[in-house]
Amino acid sequence: MTCHPHRRKGPQPAASAAPVARCKFSFCALPIAAALAGIIPAPALAGSEFDPAILAIKGDVEYGEYLSSECVTCHSADGEDRGIPSITGWPVDSFVVVMHSYKAKDRDHPAMRMIAGRLSNEEIAALAAFFATID
Amino acid sequence: MTLTRRGFLGTTAAGASALAAPAVLGAGHPNVVIVGGGAGGATAARYIAKDSKGAVNVTLIEPSRVYYTCFFSNLAIGGFTTLDQTAHTYTKLASEYGINVVHEFAVGVDRDAKTVTTGSGMKFAYDRLILSPGIDFVPGSVPGWDLTSQTAMPHAYKGGTQAGLLKAQVEAMPEGGIYLMVAPPNPYRCPPGPYERVSMVAHVLKQKNPTAKIMVFDPKPKFSKMALFQEGWSNHYAGMIEWVGGDFGTVSSVDPYAMTVDIEGEIIKADVCNVIPGQKAGKIAELAGLTNDAGWAPVNAADMSSKIDPDVHVLGDACQQGDMPKSGFSANSQAKVCANAIRGALTGSKVFPAKFSNTCWSLIGTDDGVKVGASYEATVEKIAKTDGFISKVEEDADTRKQTYEESLGWYAGITSDMFG
Repeated sequence: MTCHPHRRKGPQPAASAAPVARCKFSFCALPIAAALAGIIPAPALAGSEFDPAILAIKGDVEYGEYLSSECVTCHSADGEDRGIPSITGWPVDSFVVVMHSYKAKDRDHPAMRMIAGRLSNEEIAALAAFFATID
Repeated sequence: MTLTRRGFLGTTAAGASALAAPAVLGAGHPNVVIVGGGAGGATAARYIAKDSKGAVNVTLIEPSRVYYTCFFSNLAIGGFTTLDQTAHTYTKLASEYGINVVHEFAVGVDRDAKTVTTGSGMKFAYDRLILSPGIDFVPGSVPGWDLTSQTAMPHAYKGGTQAGLLKAQVEAMPEGGIYLMVAPPNPYRCPPGPYERVSMVAHVLKQKNPTAKIMVFDPKPKFSKMALFQEGWSNHYAGMIEWVGGDFGTVSSVDPYAMTVDIEGEIIKADVCNVIPGQKAGKIAELAGLTNDAGWAPVNAADMSSKIDPDVHVLGDACQQGDMPKSGFSANSQAKVCANAIRGALTGSKVFPAKFSNTCWSLIGTDDGVKVGASYEATVEKIAKTDGFISKVEEDADTRKQTYEESLGWYAGITSDMFG
């Protein structure tokens, strides 16, 4: 299935057999993936509890670049998924929504909950702004 | 005044460059010299060079032309990867990042003159020095064992040759033979490493030599991810592994000629004996006068600078920083904080707050990966843990498989973060 316009570069690891895992954002829940495809606007997707003011924060790209150094220990900087999903080239809003869903512990991954959990709204915006510049 | 001599495209041969006229590139720019090209040093070199865009001269002193990561060497022993796949070179750091890579041993640091001397007698002046030398072994830690014993009784606690030797010895064990590990006391590199090692050896023996036995003599009463490993050993390798904690019998000495281990008077003959001795900071940290009585180099958390000399930073296994485990992931994380701080100090670039993190994955059996991780912040006193997670016992197989696959992704990520 195609759930958004982005396609993962490189070969699929054998692990990614589940339909949702076929997308570049392989850890997306389906509604979010739909939102990423532009079917549903991201703020609407996150429901009434997602504060539009958070999406309005303009990220500091320089700070985002510094913060990104923590991400690229695991997420390959070249955007390849080699067992850990790609995080480059995301639309800014989608990146922000997904990170906030980890921060709120709505998503399961323990490392991502921990990493997102200590990022401020400004830091998440900064990361989103930086990674949007990489593809 | 000492001139900074630069080698040719990272392939400095001692004789050639000593004779070469010293070409001082980037004259007037500050000099950062980095000793040790592992997860700490290579990462710091790459980030300072990348982010300063030529405003800082970066020299990386690392004796190995081909660097084998210690992380994933256990997976090579288990046959889940090969040692060749753990090999990396410094070509990109030299050609794409303009780093002066010098393949020599650093043999001395003069902190008054602010120079580093290498084995061939070259001197490198620094404004800031980063030492990331990894570990050395504490002499006498395991009586009867010293570095000359490492062929008979490998430590395999540095990547490459030693890991290859241990792998070959395990594969050549006689039917029903004994693999004996002397585990290290705290603190040491890669806390789950010895136990992942045991798992990988068991994985090999289960296939090739199922009546063989594994014995672990450990000075510690407990170890990293203990419940997870013991669960996995029981699931995958029932009856093969005997772990003996320090409360129940300690190693009095080893005899590398007789291949015996003395456990408080009881002599055990081993077919393979893997001795992982007690550890301390790599020797150059000690030679620089930056280590404490425990053998480690105490550092300030905010910028990884030595508590003894603010112009020298110590990264990774060699430093004593607080709560982070000694791991490649930790060294890489510390390197980025350090690089940001040094660049700020030397060029006036913005210095952002220190954030550290670590995750250690371990493979217990096929598709059975576990992990432990934590985040950290810099306090005045130390690097302090803020949050953490660990795999659960009795997790489902899909989660364990995903955790293993994640570790492959991490290996790809961190090695390109180190070597470009």
